[in-house]
Amino acid sequence: MYQNKSSIFLILILGLIIHKYYCKEQTYVHNQAKPARFHVAEFNFDHVSDVYAITLWILLGSLAKVGFHLSHRLTEKFPESCLLIILGLIVGALLYITHLAEQKAYVLNSDTFFLFLLPPIILEAGYFMPNRPFFDNLGTILLLAIVNTLFNTLCIGLTLWGFSFTSLYGGTVFDMLPCFVFAALISAVDPVAVLATFTEIHVNDMLYIVVFGESLLNDAVSVVLYRMFDSFAKIGQENLIPTDIILGCLSFFVVALGGVLIGIIFGVVACFTTKFTEHTPVLEPLIILVYAYLAYLTSEMVSVSGILAITFCGMVMKQYVSFNISKKSDATTEYVLKMLSSIMETIIFMFMGLSTVSDHHSWNTGFVLMTLLCCLVYRVIGIAIFANLANCWRLLELTRIDMLIMSYGGLRGAIAFALALILDETKIPRKKEFVTATIAVVFFTVFVQGITIGPLVKCLNVRRKQIEEPTMSAKLTNRMMDHVMTCLEEISGSGGSNSLRDKCRNLDRNYFKRWLLRETPQEKMDIKLLQTFKKINMQSAMKVHDTSKGLVPAPSSSAIHTSASGTNLRPESTFANFSQILAANLPEQTVPDLMFFENHHGAEQYRDDAQMHHFLDTNLYRARPRATIHLRSQDESAGTDGVAHNRFEKSYHHRNHIYIPSRLDKEQIHGRKAGKTSGGTGRSTASKAGSSNITHSHTHSHSPKHHTSSVSKQQNEKLRSASPVSDQKQQQQQQQSKTRSKSPSLSSDQPIRPSSPTAEMYRPSPPISIRIDNDDDNEILDGTTAAERICPWRRSSIPDAARSTSTSPVNDPSNTTQTASNTNDPNLHPGPLTSANYSGTYHKSPEYLGEYATTTKPEEHLSRPNIRDLFNNQSRIPDEKQENDMETNSDESTTQL
Amino acid sequence: MGSNASIMLQQEDLQNICQQTGFTAKQVQRLYSRFKTLDKRDCGFLTREDLLCIPEVNINPLGERLIDVIMDDYGENNKINFKQFIFLLAKFRRGRVKSSTTEFNTRDSKLRFLFDMYDRNHDMKIDREELLQVLKMMVGGNIHDDQIATIADHTIGELDSDGDKSITFEEFCKTLERIDADDKMSMKFLS
Repeated sequence: MYQNKSSIFLILILGLIIHKYYCKEQTYVHNQAKPARFHVAEFNFDHVSDVYAITLWILLGSLAKVGFHLSHRLTEKFPESCLLIILGLIVGALLYITHLAEQKAYVLNSDTFFLFLLPPIILEAGYFMPNRPFFDNLGTILLLAIVNTLFNTLCIGLTLWGFSFTSLYGGTVFDMLPCFVFAALISAVDPVAVLATFTEIHVNDMLYIVVFGESLLNDAVSVVLYRMFDSFAKIGQENLIPTDIILGCLSFFVVALGGVLIGIIFGVVACFTTKFTEHTPVLEPLIILVYAYLAYLTSEMVSVSGILAITFCGMVMKQYVSFNISKKSDATTEYVLKMLSSIMETIIFMFMGLSTVSDHHSWNTGFVLMTLLCCLVYRVIGIAIFANLANCWRLLELTRIDMLIMSYGGLRGAIAFALALILDETKIPRKKEFVTATIAVVFFTVFVQGITIGPLVKCLNVRRKQIEEPTMSAKLTNRMMDHVMTCLEEISGSGGSNSLRDKCRNLDRNYFKRWLLRETPQEKMDIKLLQTFKKINMQSAMKVHDTSKGLVPAPSSSAIHTSASGTNLRPESTFANFSQILAANLPEQTVPDLMFFENHHGAEQYRDDAQMHHFLDTNLYRARPRATIHLRSQDESAGTDGVAHNRFEKSYHHRNHIYIPSRLDKEQIHGRKAGKTSGGTGRSTASKAGSSNITHSHTHSHSPKHHTSSVSKQQNEKLRSASPVSDQKQQQQQQQSKTRSKSPSLSSDQPIRPSSPTAEMYRPSPPISIRIDNDDDNEILDGTTAAERICPWRRSSIPDAARSTSTSPVNDPSNTTQTASNTNDPNLHPGPLTSANYSGTYHKSPEYLGEYATTTKPEEHLSRPNIRDLFNNQSRIPDEKQENDMETNSDESTTQL
Repeated sequence: MGSNASIMLQQEDLQNICQQTGFTAKQVQRLYSRFKTLDKRDCGFLTREDLLCIPEVNINPLGERLIDVIMDDYGENNKINFKQFIFLLAKFRRGRVKSSTTEFNTRDSKLRFLFDMYDRNHDMKIDREELLQVLKMMVGGNIHDDQIATIADHTIGELDSDGDKSITFEEFCKTLERIDADDKMSMKFLS
């Protein structure tokens, strides 16, 4: 609390400073008095005044937000919006009392509001709109947004007007049309307020999307109604002809559909543009933002609904852009959007508080109370009617409690306020009453409803948003249900929403994806399933990562060296190789995954942080696997199930939808500093972050075999001088043949919790230095990477200590060997060879490489020279690393090697 | 529609069916006409081939498996007649209100159907092989066996609470607790 108070003080002082600067006379009087001479330093506030004030406001808002969140007690009880309004009120009152600035300097200006403050919030909302729930509930949302808003407007307008014949308003006369104008602006649920409140209470997706979707889409209705009644009021009640009303109704469709259309067009153009930004990834976020803003401005220009335009623009862009742009740009876009919208929201609420304190008020108790009552009552009635109506066709019915929350969540906000402020006082004489009533309603909804809705949701036990991670089985069964239901719907002859969804998906895949994405997805498989699997693994990894206490950056850096090189690849080639090789090689062990690692909670002391860190790094740095499927799938599946899965091919998204915390990013960047590769720009991080666990685990589980086989086939002569390697190789092959007879599925074994001595044995083996003679030049490679590369799960999941110790160190030297030799072999595919981690290991035969050499893109060649740097860098580190490793490694494993 | 040349859709049959399944007469008639359309040879039952003629089913990765289930569990001798057909579909009728729930369209019976999609040997357990089969169908041909096997193991590991490496119906239901299976396994029958 103390911190909070002090921050409020700070903010107040800041506010005062700002407004001191507004009094321009103070600063300029003495300028005129002096004769013109050269000034060493000049105080030129005028030059920056506007921007300075804006920047200070933003700073004030941010500091306020930061301040509020320092106190958990405060933010738990009150929504942020309330606190901001209170802050605004306090600052406003101070300014008002001290008369430091003229009123209009800090009152919410509707131009500012509609042109600058609102668009980022709506764009963010559209961009992060959960598409599927939105379209699943589209019918309900539309019904509520259009019909319910219309109903509310008419009822509120009529009631308010009706009561003007009684003495309730104390003799103040309200005409019919002004009443309707007011009703139009007050009846619309405000997206900003809803967003601010509902994101804090975490209701289930369906409820959230219904209320929020309504608040977004009713903009069209409220804008049309507002404009219509406003212009009617200007025309004058007696001059109205039916044509006006018909045109007004017609304009609804123009405004709504026009907005949607403009949004979609700009969204599509934005996606199309990002198709070509491969070489300028820095601009990608900007392109997205600019197109969205342009959509908003364009639609405002042609006076259609800008909110709808920017919402749909965001939705369209999200669908495609994120597959085009690099992972980094994607993260940046998301971050910038979040940042912008959060600061705009802050400023909006603050300004609302500020502008409340002004002379432009005329409190009419009867009118205010009547408005409030109308808003509440008609909201409840409207929801009751239309939610029940919607239930007729909804599969998932809206329960009474849902309806209650929906009506209670009908918050009014800044849009209403801004609309009230731009009323023309000459045409609508009761503007002041309207503004006051609007503020009263907004404050009531934001304060009373906003504060109580959280406890209410808890109290009524509303289904909360499920935060648990998806389980594999749930995903699988879910997908199965989808398949079965589409099938059955077709059999029963009732084309339902499922088939419609399939049709949309087809359209999407056949046309939009083809035109808008850089790489046309051609894969034929259920990718989402695979993605979930990766996601689960990734999440487990993150969980483990979070539980580990600190991170030791030094040992991991070399791992990054090797793996970072892999990020320059074009994924097509690599993943194609991957699947090809996988198919070519008989599976010997199943891919172990993080489940095992997770199961070993008892083994925490062995889970040393460096290894964990490394493990994650190797995970994160993998190239995106999507392309695998692109290239190979056609040939592979054509014979067997090509026809059968024709329709069910899904896009393979190279975005993994996994949010990687900034902490990790930092580490990545940190690691990359050490092993810097210049070839990979933003793309490399993209591929790193979008790494797939499956690829990863495959690499590891198969690596012993691939290494040996490929090394023996192709690289034998190159390894002749490296006798330790060949020795080890033989050893390893023996090991392999022994283990081959083991259970085919590692993962089906119940994970064994290792006791501490065994775990000690499973430690990665000590670093070994191998000298490799290449044809062209000699390169000294350090095998320390080997130790780093050992998958942590391996030591715990494989009960055989000897195996893990013998295989893993060997495969890595051979791996690096191969990579090194590949670098010098012009016949080999330049792309995959940059990846020390898997591409090299998966190359089975030279012909295979040759085949893929044709598919490489020029940028891969650029990355070639870096590899040597990479390895050179690497060789500098071993000393410190050796130390690290020596501690952990038992003598046993050393001798074995 | 159902009245012309109806083989078995007599008035009392209709009422019977409506009563048992909870369909309205109109829905039943509509389904009957659908049945007739599918039954191209006009012999009063559908065969595998009839169902496979539906493009949607033909290309659905689980289409064949679904037909297996339909034919084995609901029809007989690779045939399914209208009564069996409508009892099958009655499972997927929306049981919104308590009163409209019949023995067919309970959540349990829907889950049962899903379970049967996996469990083809009717031993009330989904074992690894069965899961693998379904996974392969759903994933397509170009994922390596290893990957699928891992996914299968992962899935079994998630669900298997008694450690017998197979999933019983109870275990199966448990994971679906958080999914609104009842809703997802329901469709709207036009009337």
